[in-house]
Amino acid sequence: MKDGHLDTLWLEDRKLTNLITQPIRGILGTVLSFAFFMALWWIFMDPRGVLRWYTPQYGYMYIRWLLIVAIWQAYIFNFWPFNLKWMEGSHPLKKGLILVGINFAVTGLVIWGFFYGILGKFSIPYMSQFELHKLGMTEFFAREYSSLAVLMFAAIASWLSPIWPSAFENYPWHSLKQPAKGITVFSFTFLLTTYAFFVFMHPHYNVLFYPWQKFAAAFPWWYESFKTLSGNFNVGWIMCGTAAVWMVETTWEKYPFRLIKSQPWRGIAGFLWILLIAFTMFFVFIFMQDVVWGESIEGAKRLMAPDWRYLHTGELAVMMLSIALTLYFYFDNWPKKFSTEVNLFIRTAVIVVISFGFHYVYYAVSPGLLGTQAGYSHPQQFPMAPIILWIVVMLYHNWFMDGWPGKSIKQPAAQEVSNEKHVSA
Amino acid sequence: MANEFSRRSFIKGMALGTMAGYFGSAGLSSTVFHKQMMPKDNTKKVDIGQIKSLSVKVISETSWFNNAVLLNDIKKSGGLLVNQYEIPWTVEGVKEGYKGNNAGGFATLIEFEELSGKKHKLLLDTGWNVDWTDKRFKEEGIDKMLANKEIEALIISHEHFDHYWGIEATTKYNPNIHVYVPKGFYQEGFDLLKGKAFPKAHVKNDHPHTGKLDVMDSSKIRPIYPGVALVTFDVPIITRVFGEQAFIFNIKDKGLALVTGCCHMGIITYMEFAKKRIVGGEKIYGVQGGMHISPFEDWDPQYDDLVLALHKYGIEKLGPNHCTGYVTAEKMIAAGLPVIKGTARNGSKRNIYLGNGDKLVFA
Repeated sequence: MKDGHLDTLWLEDRKLTNLITQPIRGILGTVLSFAFFMALWWIFMDPRGVLRWYTPQYGYMYIRWLLIVAIWQAYIFNFWPFNLKWMEGSHPLKKGLILVGINFAVTGLVIWGFFYGILGKFSIPYMSQFELHKLGMTEFFAREYSSLAVLMFAAIASWLSPIWPSAFENYPWHSLKQPAKGITVFSFTFLLTTYAFFVFMHPHYNVLFYPWQKFAAAFPWWYESFKTLSGNFNVGWIMCGTAAVWMVETTWEKYPFRLIKSQPWRGIAGFLWILLIAFTMFFVFIFMQDVVWGESIEGAKRLMAPDWRYLHTGELAVMMLSIALTLYFYFDNWPKKFSTEVNLFIRTAVIVVISFGFHYVYYAVSPGLLGTQAGYSHPQQFPMAPIILWIVVMLYHNWFMDGWPGKSIKQPAAQEVSNEKHVSA
Repeated sequence: MANEFSRRSFIKGMALGTMAGYFGSAGLSSTVFHKQMMPKDNTKKVDIGQIKSLSVKVISETSWFNNAVLLNDIKKSGGLLVNQYEIPWTVEGVKEGYKGNNAGGFATLIEFEELSGKKHKLLLDTGWNVDWTDKRFKEEGIDKMLANKEIEALIISHEHFDHYWGIEATTKYNPNIHVYVPKGFYQEGFDLLKGKAFPKAHVKNDHPHTGKLDVMDSSKIRPIYPGVALVTFDVPIITRVFGEQAFIFNIKDKGLALVTGCCHMGIITYMEFAKKRIVGGEKIYGVQGGMHISPFEDWDPQYDDLVLALHKYGIEKLGPNHCTGYVTAEKMIAAGLPVIKGTARNGSKRNIYLGNGDKLVFA
């Protein structure tokens, strides 16, 4: 920290004091974040609520972008332009209000400015609901199709963007100051996201429109191996990747690749480790579905559709991630008293067991609680939307508001600040 | 020393993780374990008997007249998950509509003959807009068949507005008709049958049903005549509807004929069910009805999967209409599937598939 600016990752540097003992603190935090999630869901998403944006893709698009913008704010830009004094001295409610306000504003700017205003208008019509409607599509499907494309950009970004600060520690730009570091890492990860989008999702849009757009996009290259033309195949494993990134960061504490001391080897090992975990999750979840519902049938719909099975792997991964983050944010990543290997094993087992229960409870209560469609598989049923919104709220609470009122920032002693400044300089 | 410790710990961690990964992805799901762990299908096939002949006449496959107006109603109300009884559907001022009303409806007349020579008539679904449905009933003589009880039963495929809300068009001629509905009907659906109105959605029934009502269990094969069965699927459907039932006929010397209202369960799932569960299922001779692929002329690459997979079933007569969508029909024809053409009259816009007043004779 130099001149009061945040040069090292604030979320790792900040010292939090527990104001309430466990398990009350954990339960209170979980209940508060869930209540705030329910309020947001009712106002913006619920088909019986106020704005009813969960149609589903339109609302889901906003949720995905709220998540990635929060990651940009905290991990890529390290809360720039706010300085250490403001981050430590401001009341959590004030910080929450301002940082969530920025989160909403940037999300709106990205969707309405970048995608609808520029990319959709001057480059790829399916990135803008207005351009698709102008081309003759009904308003409803123009909005749904474009929302899917825009949200997929965010989905890929939420997998790739955190890898750089998390695994590579922003190498080779780690010594840059903000905002130069943020802009550089943002630009680089956004470039990677763009490449990934065109490889993994653009072919989906070849066959989405009639006639097939064979001159504008490649034929879905995964069809022969995975028996679907739908991009849901890629959605599935990429969402497993997103869950893997955050579980490696939180549940597994970057073990074992944190033991590698030098970059870029630590980053490369971390990236490959995340990829391995992502595909392990993907194939295990596919296998579990085959065991429960029987093998999927090519061309079938709903439960038996291969593409829905792939999508559901992502849904299962996100359900597991929500439990992992609850344990991490609200229950101190229990347990911590054993060896690293034992801690990680018990923690993972607890998350897996609770995730099974959560899967059952979600489908039992969501039609009444969230206004979603009954049943597991439905074209308008995206458990990822409400669950990711809940994750976003947990991030708001813990990243932007320091987990208040269960926790608060510990004001560093004058000597500590002096030492930190010395180290940073 | 510190480096040695790190290296050892790292290798230990990688080894543990890789083993877990192997057993997770490669081990459990490899062909060795895969076959052993897959659920075994021990269900026995059901013999539903056989019929001599079957014909299906489309009374109305025009569920709505302007697609954009219908979708706008849904969009304004909050999307495809909103309860259908809560949507203020557009019922006036639509240029292409019937007397300005955008609502049409789906209804099909089914005629079959038992091996004994006994003939039967059934009505599959009863439209949406009562005026439109009544007009089509009169044009095809359904009104008289209902009044003189030639039509023995009304089978409601599912609770959707365009298949069920025109109930009054049937009960005004025969309130005592035997009605079959699938498991999954909401209370509003039962209330409508008994005469309740839902003004917000512009739906009413001034002729309450007084006859027998059967709620059909899901996943059970329910023979209702020799050679004729109804099957219900637990399937979530847009605008808060759940469950759909469809017909399976076993025609002597031909094979199975499947007749559906909307087929939200998916045509492949429906055929796979018939193949595995019905004696004679190895030959699916024909399929007729709404196949629910691109009802709004929308698309999803998943639907291409379906069109590409249909070839494997060896269907000889494919009679799609209604929610199958014109885009799907074009793709089916391009893929070489035996789609039966229609005559594009009585409100049906194109002859690419069976339309209002068209009849498909299976045998």
